[in-house]
Amino acid sequence: MDTIVSLFLIFIGAALINNFVLHYFVGICPFIGVSRRVDLAFGMGCAVTFVIGIAATLSWTLTFYILRPEAPLSAWLWNSMGADPTTVVDLSILSYIAYIFVIASSVQFVEMYVKKFFPSLHRSFGVFLPLISTNCAILFACLEIMKNLQGGDQLWGLHHALALSLGGGVGFTIAIVIMAGLREELELCDVPKALKGPGIALLVAGILAMAFMGFTGVDRGVADAIRTLTQH
Amino acid sequence: MDNTLITILLSAGILLVIAVLMALILGWANIAFHVPTDPKVAAVNEILPGANCGGCGFVGCSEYAEAVANGKAAATLCGPGGQDAANRIAETLGLDLGQTWPFKAVVHCSAKREQRLKQTPYFGEQSCAAANLVPGIQGCVYGCLGYGDCQDVCEYGAIDMVDGLAIIDVDKCTGCRACEKACPRGIITMIPFKTEEVLVVTCSNKDKGVLVKDVCTVGCIGCSACTKPADGLIEMVNDLPVVNYDKDSSGIDLHKSIEKCPRESLMFIGLHKDKKKAQGEPERIEANFATTVDQTEWRG
Repeated sequence: MDTIVSLFLIFIGAALINNFVLHYFVGICPFIGVSRRVDLAFGMGCAVTFVIGIAATLSWTLTFYILRPEAPLSAWLWNSMGADPTTVVDLSILSYIAYIFVIASSVQFVEMYVKKFFPSLHRSFGVFLPLISTNCAILFACLEIMKNLQGGDQLWGLHHALALSLGGGVGFTIAIVIMAGLREELELCDVPKALKGPGIALLVAGILAMAFMGFTGVDRGVADAIRTLTQH
Repeated sequence: MDNTLITILLSAGILLVIAVLMALILGWANIAFHVPTDPKVAAVNEILPGANCGGCGFVGCSEYAEAVANGKAAATLCGPGGQDAANRIAETLGLDLGQTWPFKAVVHCSAKREQRLKQTPYFGEQSCAAANLVPGIQGCVYGCLGYGDCQDVCEYGAIDMVDGLAIIDVDKCTGCRACEKACPRGIITMIPFKTEEVLVVTCSNKDKGVLVKDVCTVGCIGCSACTKPADGLIEMVNDLPVVNYDKDSSGIDLHKSIEKCPRESLMFIGLHKDKKKAQGEPERIEANFATTVDQTEWRG
């Protein structure tokens, strides 16, 4: 039961409370660039959710077996190369470059796959899929997963990583769709010339971020409610 | 071995293994998921300007390229690419184009702000689409509203609003049809420029002459005086002269038609104005900021 509750909390936390876009301000480029129309924004959100899931799976595997401190594979290599066994092997310095490798090539792979087997989906994703390979929201999800594999009692499993990435993807979709809806209305407003386009969009994003601060503390309340329910 | 050296070796080795692994997977995927594409589509796509303006009626340049290469669309639909693109596409695909002309946008209204009757004071949204919803915004229910929706959508800077009337610079116009779609009153159309100067009816008012005189000082009153010297090139439809651009206009002196018009509803619109202007261009006047700054209109 505790596992399910913690997974749920990670999901809600990534989707609403610590929304990637509106709390951490990562993934701002597609958030501003592809939020002119609701349908395109939703497509972008789906594409990001899809890629973030794949990237999280791959980077969790990579981190758990190779990059984290005391990772089994690198520890075995470390010892077999005759290093000092009292020192803990830690290849976390490689995380950034390894994640960029993994994200870029998995996006390429997914694009080829989709182009071959789902041509209509590929046409509607269009230029978004390659754009996602440089999306910082995805790198952020990978780094967040790495942070929770650094040590301590509770190392994240693959299911935690997936909950975080799917929550992040859903949160990104919510944020970009709300933003697209607002910007469709903004088209009809008399905006001062100096603020037209991305300027007013960033101001609106800031106000939206303040609104999302209202979700702070929801996770603890939900957790308490679930615990009380399960006790009875 | 030293710990530092091992760390460096281990890092380099692991990165190398990841890189080689990814390269192998991507290389395999490139072959396994290869989608055969028609080389003709790629060739046509190369010729198109890539503006994705949608003027041809397709979503983007690549969709149009596919349609052209499969013979589902004509090779002449690309406005921004113009004659040059059409010729090169025809050459690539081995098509016979026949004779084609550049299509440019023209405004079928010539009434400046003070030449048309205003009825209701309007303080709403400064756009034609919104103003057009207000009954009685303007005496003439057919003519230009002058809020410049067409100017806003023109990506080539070809439209200027002069005294509340849209004026199109046909040299800059690429024929992308964006303004035609934006105009809520439908008074912008595309016409073929077969000659350097083309006769254009600059009025869209379909009412009887008496009613037109009430609302506009330059609009067409439907007298049909212009049709006689034009030798069948101009016909009256709904009290408006309509120029038949499919007919051959050579040998007909269209200046006579313009002279016969008691109003200002017919005029020549011509290409290459710049050349004519260069012959007698007035000297540039430097801006006097002392007078201009204070009159800046702030719409914050």
